[in-house]
Amino acid sequence: MDMSTEFRLRRVLKTDMALRQERMAVCADNRFTQKKPPLQRFRLVLFLLAVPLLLIISLMLGPSGIGFPDLDSPVGSAIASLRFSRMLMGMMTGAALAASGVVFQALLRNPLAEPYVLGVSGGAGLGATISILAGASLALPMSLPVVAFLSAVLTLLLVYGIASQGSAGQPSVYSLILSGVIVSAICSSIIMFLVSTASVDGMHNVIWWMLGSLQPASTAQQQFSAVLIAGGIAGCWVLSSRLNALVLGREMAHYQGINAGLVIVVGLLFSTLLAATAVSLSGMIGFVGLIVPHVMRASFGPDHRRLLPLAALGGGVFLVICDAVARTILAPIEIPVGVVTALVGGPFFLLILQRRMKQAWIA
Amino acid sequence: MIMGVSALTFREVSAGYKHRKVLDRVSFSLQAGEFVSLIGPNGSGKSTLLKTASAFIKPLEGTVELFGRDVCHLPPRERASLLGIVPQKLESPMAFTVEQIVTNGRVASMGILGSATSTDRDLVERAMIYTDVLALRDRFFGELSGGEQQRVALAMVLAQEPKLIMLDESISHLDINHRNEVLQILLKLNREEQLTILLVSHDLSLSAAISDRLLLMQDGTIRAAGIPQDVLKADLLSSVYNCDLQVRQDLYTGALQVSGPVEGQKRSSPTGCRVHVIAGGGSGIELFRRLLLEGHRVTAGVLNLLDSDAEAARALNIDTVFDQPFSPIGEPALQRASRLSEAADAVIVSHVPFGEGNLVNLDLAAEALRKGRRVYIARGIEGRDYTSGRQATAKVKALMDAGAVGWESLHELLSVLHEHQKH
Repeated sequence: MDMSTEFRLRRVLKTDMALRQERMAVCADNRFTQKKPPLQRFRLVLFLLAVPLLLIISLMLGPSGIGFPDLDSPVGSAIASLRFSRMLMGMMTGAALAASGVVFQALLRNPLAEPYVLGVSGGAGLGATISILAGASLALPMSLPVVAFLSAVLTLLLVYGIASQGSAGQPSVYSLILSGVIVSAICSSIIMFLVSTASVDGMHNVIWWMLGSLQPASTAQQQFSAVLIAGGIAGCWVLSSRLNALVLGREMAHYQGINAGLVIVVGLLFSTLLAATAVSLSGMIGFVGLIVPHVMRASFGPDHRRLLPLAALGGGVFLVICDAVARTILAPIEIPVGVVTALVGGPFFLLILQRRMKQAWIA
Repeated sequence: MIMGVSALTFREVSAGYKHRKVLDRVSFSLQAGEFVSLIGPNGSGKSTLLKTASAFIKPLEGTVELFGRDVCHLPPRERASLLGIVPQKLESPMAFTVEQIVTNGRVASMGILGSATSTDRDLVERAMIYTDVLALRDRFFGELSGGEQQRVALAMVLAQEPKLIMLDESISHLDINHRNEVLQILLKLNREEQLTILLVSHDLSLSAAISDRLLLMQDGTIRAAGIPQDVLKADLLSSVYNCDLQVRQDLYTGALQVSGPVEGQKRSSPTGCRVHVIAGGGSGIELFRRLLLEGHRVTAGVLNLLDSDAEAARALNIDTVFDQPFSPIGEPALQRASRLSEAADAVIVSHVPFGEGNLVNLDLAAEALRKGRRVYIARGIEGRDYTSGRQATAKVKALMDAGAVGWESLHELLSVLHEHQKH
């Protein structure tokens, strides 16, 4: 092909492009005009490819050495199974916390909202502390997670009840956040008091529980939690298009034919269920429920139909990686995973947010 | 207009917030296909009326019917398919794109899983084309200018496909080009698809030009309803808006033009007169403010220190005679006040309650009247007379017999003052 033919070909192609563009502008048919920005699609593919890769890497990390353990030897297969179940624990906990954070941030229209904002951590912590110090956690199997879960849900009901006082049954966002903060503060001071009067042994157990860890729970508890978390995320996802509308405010959502009060109550219940399950499974792991939703929103936009499953996936993978780092980096000493989430994840996410915050929240 | 079908009916509706009733037994009806403007001063209850119409606020008494059905018992989804409201301002704290915002208009009809069908996408597309925001579809809503945001909000409500659209002062932020465009869209939808429209507006002339009917609200009630010529009456508007308004009809187009005192001020030179005000107990604050605004020179007294009128007079820098708080007015203060009232062209007595302590202030008025000053006294002294033996009532009666003029509303007082000033 000589130069002039190529040039002519280019011109023909160009006019064809121009024609198509013109058609797009005139024609209202959305099959032509509706196209996702390619950059965002690229980012999505990249993320989805990274997920299995990161999970495989996490299986290769551990105090016994880097690389896949030898599955033929009994020790190797035990290590592999331990790493695998810790991965499952991390996926479940991280997904629950991140999905819960997404819903809280949407319902409360507030970037500071996180799974623990309505007193879930305080309530669950108080329940767990009492359970540990009373010795019930040793006497009855499963009593610690059950007590933690129930006290978290009870705290939400208490917070909701307090916030509803004097506003005709429909608490405002601000009264919810304020009552959550106050109830949390009361719970933590009671925990402080109990811990300060406890024996050294009891104190150690309580603090270790509150730091959180992904030590595999009993199979029964894992199965039960998996069902609750899957149900909770599905429940939140069903609400997701309504969450989009609620971001514009309760009044506007009402005008668009949404039962705003009902969506708020159901959403709070589902997200508290998720947070309470995560806390009863792995203790209080901070940061995941606050930052992962922000980063995923900044990367993939605030449309909750996409954001919610992506954040759940991202939260799970993030926690799995943090756990792998926590158990490897100072081996054989294991750092609490909650320390790693903020210490390692913090700077990384700050970098992303600094560049892309505009895509998440209006500054 | 489709005759006989009522789009929205209020029957004796009272509604409001927890400790404050805003709507007071409001009754009116919109016919399907009508274009109606809702006008009225700030705080007259227009926004509350819109919220009540969509059952965001439940009425305390009475019923609201949307196309013949009680709005409080309509399922939310059906309500949204009948009524759409464009808010004064739409706020999105998260960075949604314009298209995502407009898609929200379909949220109720998209079903529980929220998957948009091609019909939904077409409706969103059409709404964006109508409102000229198609080019902005991938921009962030929060980055747009106020007028662009308003058009996006309108697109969202159009995508909802309601049969009745209410706009809450939504077009006041638009530039003249887009305001006309939006109005054209509304008029077209009204004409061709029998969409019923209720426009809350502060532009009285514009409302008159485009509406079939006007509803005029005042203090939570419908003060007047009817065709623009019947509602836009100078005296009615002046009393509702509490200022001097003129209504003129354009000789060629027949369009009604409402103009206010500001337009008039440019043409007339400010020749205020000097007035002395006898007030107290908070009855003088609004009087001071309006007299000063009209360009009069105001003096006041005698006022007791700590009285709310005394505070106001001091804040407004009005030359005022004060006396000690919570005690009868003394002779020296009275003499100083009488010098001020003598220097004035007119003396105004406000709706102030009279007791033994401030009764002498009426003697001030009597003295001014004797010296040929004009005296205006607020009517209804009987209800404010706390003196023994009704001395204040007797004194006011004597004053009126001697030629003092009574007044009721501020608007009335100001126009009488203006008349006198001309002579």
